[in-house]
Amino acid sequence: MGILQETLSRRSFDNDVFGHFGAAAGYAMAAQRGMHTFGTGPETWKHIAVGQRKWANLNPEATMYEKKLSFEDYLNSDWVVEPFRRFDCCLISDGGRALVVTTAERARDLKHPPVYIMGLGQHNPSSEIAQCTYMDGPTGAKLAGEQAFSMAGVTPDDIDACQIYDCFTYTVEITLQEYGFFQPGEGEDWFKDGTIEPGGRMPVNTSGGQLSEVYFMGLTPFSEAVMQLMGRCGNRQLGPQTNTKEPQIILCSDNGGILQSHSCCILGRA
Amino acid sequence: MAYEKPLPEPDGDRKPFWDGCKEHKLSFQKCKECDHVRWPPSITCPKCYSQQTEWIQAGGHGKVYSYVVYHQAFHPAFKDDLPYVVAVVELEEGPHILTNIVGCSHDKVKCDMPVEVTWEDVTEECSLPKFQPVNS
Repeated sequence: MGILQETLSRRSFDNDVFGHFGAAAGYAMAAQRGMHTFGTGPETWKHIAVGQRKWANLNPEATMYEKKLSFEDYLNSDWVVEPFRRFDCCLISDGGRALVVTTAERARDLKHPPVYIMGLGQHNPSSEIAQCTYMDGPTGAKLAGEQAFSMAGVTPDDIDACQIYDCFTYTVEITLQEYGFFQPGEGEDWFKDGTIEPGGRMPVNTSGGQLSEVYFMGLTPFSEAVMQLMGRCGNRQLGPQTNTKEPQIILCSDNGGILQSHSCCILGRA
Repeated sequence: MAYEKPLPEPDGDRKPFWDGCKEHKLSFQKCKECDHVRWPPSITCPKCYSQQTEWIQAGGHGKVYSYVVYHQAFHPAFKDDLPYVVAVVELEEGPHILTNIVGCSHDKVKCDMPVEVTWEDVTEECSLPKFQPVNS
């Protein structure tokens, strides 16, 4: 066995010795710390799971298109790893998606209306979740968001919708919190009354996201942001038909490891 | 009955830690330049990049930084333990260590709860550092 193979086959941590397995448990650990320090929990996360499901119910491509989800369904679902229930967790999907990136000059002559990258930011704060002291913030989203907003020359008030990487409900909350849409602990108030749903004032994950449409990693939020700005989203299209604002600027995020790496991208129409 | 759960696989960096565990000692690297106590082990200090290192023994006291409760077994050998708690404990010396909280009901565990090490001798060659509430 070569050195590389030997290194890759070796476990780098002993988490399984203590019965600790998988990404859901890692994010659940982060979410528990958030429950302790800023008082989040299932009463906040149920609005994310149910709100995104309502978008999926408008999207025939979504895995959960025909399945409604109520607060009761959410709260009655089995623990995956406490504090996460089944509906706090994303789907598992096979498939793929792609975006074509080119220069603004070339895009002008193409058949479809282009979408422009207004701002980008990235921050990768740590290598191992167990060692980190930012499970409840500031995560990589803080600095990545500041960079992207600064480059785009906009603030959260200018954003018409968000497509947030949503491996778990808590990831959506902590990401929007770090971007400054609400203060720590104000998530429950911000999400309630349908804020992120069809007809809401800040639509989030309008395809259903990874929780309810399909898990294509960062391409789920990014492709939805682009499609919405191009006006190609059918029954779930932002604008008059979903009683939401016609979008000019959409923010999207991607996130890797267990809150270890983060990208923010702000996209806009011409 | 044979022990069926995964066992640590100590490599060159981590061997002194697991060797210490056999003697019920929690051993960590301490940077000789900046005094940072680190985990996991590494050849350089993640704070100041010095390679001057000594091993120290931690007292085994700390508090729960965060935790989760397993109600489903993702490995068959853990089925009889359900529900069980996996936690990150912040030791007084600084390092965070992944472990189990034992000696109390899973619904009594809280973040920032003071805990102390308790040793589980799982095989002749391996002892695992687990933590229990202080005064339990």
